[in-house]
Amino acid sequence: MTGRIRNPWIVVAAYNEAPMVGSVVSGIRRAGYTVVVVDDGSSDRTGDVALLAGAVVVRHPVNLGQGAALQTGIDYALKRRADALVTFDADGQHSPLAIAALLAAIEQPGIDFALGSRFLTGATANLPVSRRILLSAALWFTRASTGLPVTDTHNGLRAMTARGARAISLRQNRMAHASEILHQIAQSGLRFVEVPVNIEYSAYSLAKGQRITDALAILIDLFARRLYR
Amino acid sequence: MIAQLLLTAFLALVLVYAWLEHRTVPIIGPLASSAAIAGLYFVWVPEHATTLAAFVGIGRGSDLIVYTWVVISLLIMLNLHLKLRLQLDMITRLARAVAIDRAKESRREAGQPRKRRPVMLGRKAEAPPIELQAKK
Repeated sequence: MTGRIRNPWIVVAAYNEAPMVGSVVSGIRRAGYTVVVVDDGSSDRTGDVALLAGAVVVRHPVNLGQGAALQTGIDYALKRRADALVTFDADGQHSPLAIAALLAAIEQPGIDFALGSRFLTGATANLPVSRRILLSAALWFTRASTGLPVTDTHNGLRAMTARGARAISLRQNRMAHASEILHQIAQSGLRFVEVPVNIEYSAYSLAKGQRITDALAILIDLFARRLYR
Repeated sequence: MIAQLLLTAFLALVLVYAWLEHRTVPIIGPLASSAAIAGLYFVWVPEHATTLAAFVGIGRGSDLIVYTWVVISLLIMLNLHLKLRLQLDMITRLARAVAIDRAKESRREAGQPRKRRPVMLGRKAEAPPIELQAKK
């Protein structure tokens, strides 16, 4: 590693991803990064496969959701003295090549978050029309509620410095964590940049991804979270 | 009169409940208190309930009181829902602590050198070597 980042950790939340997590971890390891996979109470061999592929594995005793798993991975990596963290999806739609670009972005002084964007200049492959409409609606909502001029939301590829990671604390266990991170970035006042990333949609990742009905659940989660301490 | 006293007792309980809950779920306190106070007012001044009911198009004052009670019930349901979420927060924190502790423990175990089997001094071999058997 060059520059001020010496110990970056890649955080992967995985739930029943045994068919894919091995190749994802291998790809990250080949790129030269330490990776922690949070096995979110999977009923298949996700944790074992990730371990064999070279990941550090933290296992939730019960399934809690992607947001909870990411926060566990972040906490664990910080305890292992990570000075930068990258969140990465377990379904194989992200490229390990994007990690270097994200880390380079947070190497800049004063930048604590680098958010991957599918819509900057990246050529995202096989994005279905329904998914594009759903993401546009989510983007409009995020811009309106956070005031952040982002071009993409609910993108799992993002990097943060240790200071940035300590400034956020995810309490949305499920999919609403992606919006919650943006809310917390806005509240923290820390600076962010967007980095163009390429997402490769496959039949596997689309089957695992969010649906229109999930958008309603995300809205309810975000609203309900504001009602209690 | 008996119905009025019973409703007053129930609504007073709702007020106490709202007071107890306002710390953990701030929205429930003022909403449930308002609904309970409105209910108490209409129980003891039913003619105003009838006037207001006619104004908002419900018809009878007693119906308005029933509707107020339905609102209170929905608020209590909302409160229970939010409390379940609060419990889930605690379970998440607990599960996270367990997961991280176990990972640390397995890392510590993996880092330790393997214990060698203790040598059993003075113990005879269970089966003699094949060559010795052949000599017999």
